[in-house]
Amino acid sequence: MQGIDRSPLSGAISVAALLFLVLPLTIVVLFSFHETASLSFPFTGFSLRWYREVLSSAPFRDAAWNSLMVATAVAISTLVFGILAAYGLSRTSSRWRAPLALLFFVPITLPGLFLGLALLVFFAQAGLKLSLVTVALGHFIYVFPYFLLIAKAALDRMDVAMEEAAADLGAGPWSIFHKVTLPQIWPVVIGAASLAFALSFDEFVITFFVIGSQSTLPLYIWSSMRRTIDPSINTISTLLLAVTLLLFAIAFVLTLRRDLARGRAEAAA
Amino acid sequence: MTTSPDARISRTAFSLSPRDPIALAVPAAVGFAILLAAPIAVFIAYSLLTARLFAVATPFTLDAYRRALGYGLNGTLALNSIAVGFLGAAASVALALPVAYWLRYAAGRWQMPFLFVITASMFASYLVRIYAWRTILGANGAINQTLQGMRLIDAPLEFLIYNRLSVTLALVHIFLPYVVLVLYAGFRPIAPALLEAAQDLGANAWRRWRRVVLPLIAAPAATTFLFVFILSASDYVTPQLIGGTSGQMLGVQIQANFKAVGDWPQGAAISILMLLAFLASYALTLAGLRVARLDRIRWVD
Repeated sequence: MQGIDRSPLSGAISVAALLFLVLPLTIVVLFSFHETASLSFPFTGFSLRWYREVLSSAPFRDAAWNSLMVATAVAISTLVFGILAAYGLSRTSSRWRAPLALLFFVPITLPGLFLGLALLVFFAQAGLKLSLVTVALGHFIYVFPYFLLIAKAALDRMDVAMEEAAADLGAGPWSIFHKVTLPQIWPVVIGAASLAFALSFDEFVITFFVIGSQSTLPLYIWSSMRRTIDPSINTISTLLLAVTLLLFAIAFVLTLRRDLARGRAEAAA
Repeated sequence: MTTSPDARISRTAFSLSPRDPIALAVPAAVGFAILLAAPIAVFIAYSLLTARLFAVATPFTLDAYRRALGYGLNGTLALNSIAVGFLGAAASVALALPVAYWLRYAAGRWQMPFLFVITASMFASYLVRIYAWRTILGANGAINQTLQGMRLIDAPLEFLIYNRLSVTLALVHIFLPYVVLVLYAGFRPIAPALLEAAQDLGANAWRRWRRVVLPLIAAPAATTFLFVFILSASDYVTPQLIGGTSGQMLGVQIQANFKAVGDWPQGAAISILMLLAFLASYALTLAGLRVARLDRIRWVD
């Protein structure tokens, strides 16, 4: 591969693209530590003033708590239903396999606007009052395909011979799953669940339609943005970024790293 | 009862799954039937009902579709959506191609760090990214305040924000990481040896790109283009926050029909028309790939 197209142009474009992706977010984070409300360079000084202000605000704390509750519920329910579905789809040869997989992946292909509206009219028709519960139900549908994708890939990669050996030795389906399958895939499952948590924690497009009178962190940012240019939005955004990226890093270490590293091995070959 | 070897094997396979393992997917499938299939069915039904304020009534009618299509503003907003979606998708793919190419063939030890940062930025909050662009482009934003601070301009540059271009810029920022990763995955099976062979046969960089790389990457590039087009054109948040009056899009109108106007059937009708347009563009893309005979090109390992 040496000597092939090492023209500096694609490298330069890549560095520019990376800066384009990262710089805007860096600016938000930087200004969250700014002493004054000004958004201009040069910096006049660092301060934790906006953090003190945000963290002591009751509406912010409510929104953060609500986001935490919803994301936890979504991550746990996705984990339980997702492992079962992934295992079922991975180990079956039933003719229902393809149609079910299709059903589970529909939410990835639908615009969030459509999903949110369909849920809104459905909840209205069913007489279900909009609340954090309806938000969690909406998030469940939205994050489930991503969890399933990762968990099913891990199960497909596994060698089934070990499960068959355990069955030959007299283990029942549950103890096979518990003692043979799960120990091999748990890092991936935890990684995928962190991703589910992060996606739910950050979700806005669907939440906007199916939430009642309460608020979540993205919704709180939305309403702050509609009101004014308030420097504390920088702080809330930074906190939201920190949570999502921390969870992403966990997911990356547990799941995606392997896929990307495999890609690199292939690339080096 | 004696068991033949064959019977023992089938019993083993059977004892692994007393019933078919697909049964384990049933709870999730029931959830999806209730929370996905039923809502979509109700939504389609709503588009065919008669409008009441924030509610619907029988009889079934095509009235909502007639009103949706007859309302002139919807046409303008649809054109805006198409323009933003098209421009955003084109810019994302055009920018992502050289990046993915570089990551695959030339990045060396920089490959992993770059992939990490790009994937991480994909998960960075959607709303925060729109906000970041408002922070940068706004009248009191970083660019204007800095330029004013340096006395290079007297009044804020108004053209930076609240138009179609600022919306497109933010959407490219949102979808670029995804496009890079998909195209990188598309380049993965194309071995460097293939490019070396082309080089040995006397093809220059442009010819290698045009005759070897492009045909192999055309299908993933087309599908990611479509993906970005659909998600950009249907976005309702970015245009509301940084679109101003000239950068409004159809998604905002749909959203308003549900949240402010209370005309649910018309909102549902516009959404379904939009979805049908997306399906049509999907079919068109697939047909285009087939006509260009780019749909079946696979590099065998």
